[in-house]
Amino acid sequence: MLTYLGRRLVQGLAAMAIAITLAFVAMQLAPGDPATALLAASGATQQEVAERRQQLGLDDPLPTQCLRFLADLLRGDLGSSWLHGRPVGKMVVEQAPATIELALAASAIGAALGIGLGVLGATRRGRWCDTLATALAVVSLSTPTYWSGLLAILVFSLRLRWFPSSGAAGLHHLVLPALVLGVALAGSVARLVRVRVAEVLEMPFVTAARARGLPTRRVLAVHVLRPALGPALTVIALQTGFLLGGAVVTESVFARPGLGKLVLDAVLWRDLPVLRGVILVGAAAYTGMNLVADLAVAWLDPRLRERLLPLD
Amino acid sequence: MVRTVRRILALLICVLLLLAACRASRSPTRIVYGLTLAPSGIDPHVNASSELGIPLTSVYDTLVYQDPANGTFVGGLAERWEISADGTIYTFYLRHGVKFHDGTPFNAEAVRANLERITSADLASQKARFMLGPYERTEVLDEYTVRIVLSEPFAPLLDSLSQVYLGMASPTAIAKWGSDYQLHQVGTGPYMFAEYVPGDHLLLRANPTYAWGPSLYQHRRAQVEEIEFRFFTDPATRSPALESGQVQIMGEIPPQDAARLADNPEFRVAAVPIPGVSLMFFLNTQRPPLDRLEVRQALLYGTDRPAIVAAVFGETSPVAYGPLAAVNWGYDPAVQSTYPYDPGQAASLLEEAGWLDHDGDGIRDQDGQSLRLDLYLMGWGYMPEVGQLLAAQWAELGIAVNSQIVSYPEALQIAGEGRHHLMPFTLSGSDPDILRRFFHSQQGFNWAKVDDAQLDAWLEEAARASTREERAALYSQVQRRVMEQALVVPIRDYVNLNGVSARVEGLRFDAQGWFPWLIDVSLAP
Repeated sequence: MLTYLGRRLVQGLAAMAIAITLAFVAMQLAPGDPATALLAASGATQQEVAERRQQLGLDDPLPTQCLRFLADLLRGDLGSSWLHGRPVGKMVVEQAPATIELALAASAIGAALGIGLGVLGATRRGRWCDTLATALAVVSLSTPTYWSGLLAILVFSLRLRWFPSSGAAGLHHLVLPALVLGVALAGSVARLVRVRVAEVLEMPFVTAARARGLPTRRVLAVHVLRPALGPALTVIALQTGFLLGGAVVTESVFARPGLGKLVLDAVLWRDLPVLRGVILVGAAAYTGMNLVADLAVAWLDPRLRERLLPLD
Repeated sequence: MVRTVRRILALLICVLLLLAACRASRSPTRIVYGLTLAPSGIDPHVNASSELGIPLTSVYDTLVYQDPANGTFVGGLAERWEISADGTIYTFYLRHGVKFHDGTPFNAEAVRANLERITSADLASQKARFMLGPYERTEVLDEYTVRIVLSEPFAPLLDSLSQVYLGMASPTAIAKWGSDYQLHQVGTGPYMFAEYVPGDHLLLRANPTYAWGPSLYQHRRAQVEEIEFRFFTDPATRSPALESGQVQIMGEIPPQDAARLADNPEFRVAAVPIPGVSLMFFLNTQRPPLDRLEVRQALLYGTDRPAIVAAVFGETSPVAYGPLAAVNWGYDPAVQSTYPYDPGQAASLLEEAGWLDHDGDGIRDQDGQSLRLDLYLMGWGYMPEVGQLLAAQWAELGIAVNSQIVSYPEALQIAGEGRHHLMPFTLSGSDPDILRRFFHSQQGFNWAKVDDAQLDAWLEEAARASTREERAALYSQVQRRVMEQALVVPIRDYVNLNGVSARVEGLRFDAQGWFPWLIDVSLAP
């Protein structure tokens, strides 16, 4: 187990290093100069822009910039935002909680809704429930969050006045954005669950469990879901990891703080220190959720446990 | 005994209810104000966002204030001032008895500390530093007299000093908070910086001791106890937030929503013209075929600007006919008679320049080359919508337009390299010196790539001239020259459409057009 965890940790660090390197290279290749973007509209002269470039270290060779970043990282310093003028670490810590609560809430809703729809479809195959569940899953997959977010604001904020359309001050501010993202996630989860549950329902051990007189609910919960949920859990975990990097569109539509807005500004303004910081957090979250997914799947299915976590 | 207990309980309940009622009745009055951008940094000495000025204009006082009605300057933290004959020395006589929100006294040393902070390389100011122009140093003559010394005359200095970016911050707070000062800002203004959660909200609280406002303020103290700012970056979410009561004031309402709000008795639309350079398309005079004056003039004659403005902005925006907004002092109305929509004249000019449709494909050509123009747009300010309509109008003239939407940094790079034929921009600013940024041959925003010694001379002289009359005459010549040479296709003057609840009274904006004077705002029951 420890060997496995150690191996996964090394893989995770390697993934983060690759992500950061790609960010460096991408920003170098992206058109536009950060110093010019920051100062052009303020009337700075060409010389003043050149001085700012030098101050930001933009004229240094790429390997020098990378090494400087690594050295600062080892000291726990993520640098200062070129755009905001504040320490990146503090900015990430400030924005992360809103993103984390949205990601977790959306994943919980997506998981509950997706698994529910999937099970409904699989256990009522061919009937109207199955059709309805499939249709809902397809709609959720094909509806962009920008549109569903605005629709939710129109109905629940403007017309019904049930929930606010903006902010992150409490639970009631979380409901709409979490629902929008959760419904979007539910579609892919529902389709996976439906297929797997339908397969497992045909297996002899399930027939045997039914023949022994076990209630349908117990058969589903204990004997069917455990082997069927593996792929869905992986998707949920990966989506959660993705959301932990910031749901840009949803945060923008619902005027919520979060890492998504931070990274969007960083990309638009070529604010490399912030981009590096958020990518680091996103890569760590993704790696972590990947590991959580594998461990969860192994816990669910003993047959996989031996393969993934061989006894030392 | 039981009766006694009941009486005590009843008394306790009454006391609790009374306390609850008292607490409810003591809730501060609060307005929620919707901002349209989450400011990319909120320190006015560091950051350049215009959004930050909306709340912070009421946190910081400035040395002088500009009257939006006529552009004249009145005393603020400086009661009066003197400018040396050569225009390089500004002496300010400061108001006595002013205190920062943290109790630090305001004086000449505070002014010096602020200007030194703004001009220090470590701060990496993105705007404030450059608003000071050829700044050399600040001298403290006595406790309430301070002198700003420039290396050469710079007429826009008072305009700069009237803006929040050069507002006076508490030196004590700056020293105490360092790089975290953004979250703990301290000024002398009618509102105090109470709380800022980046990306979520900013809260201002009325300053109970404020007593030194400029004569332009209508009230001595703030009328509303708290003002909360929230961020609505998506245009489609702004009207719903206003109509659902989540905010009482919302800026930058889309034109189509403004028309609907204006019909609703619960709201009104405060349309505020913004001074600066109009939304205009720069024509790259160094890239053929736009190196020919006839072709550039043809584009202007071939543009039905009223139709474009009506289609995109409805009746909310005036058509622009020159590079400077009509609301600016120094605007020359003579530009209104240049280039009326005349597709016949446009066609004649193109033919005169040798562009005819030889191969019958609907696009004019010359020596085997089609008349195709590269248009680079940014995704804000309705540039894509206007660009589409321009391309459609010019297509009827036989001009093909290749449009592409790019980010702001990329647009700057393309413009710097001169790879564009056309590129739009708009920028706000109350001093006509803003024209120098776009039409002086050595300036980075010279997207028309013009190298006109006469224009340079007029713009430089206007930045140094000592009277407004001299400056206005020079800027008039600049505007006429820009249009004679067809360097730009002006489209519209910017208007900020603010949706306001009918309960909000006294909302007025400063000379920049963006920044409200919150001290005068009140909330009717």
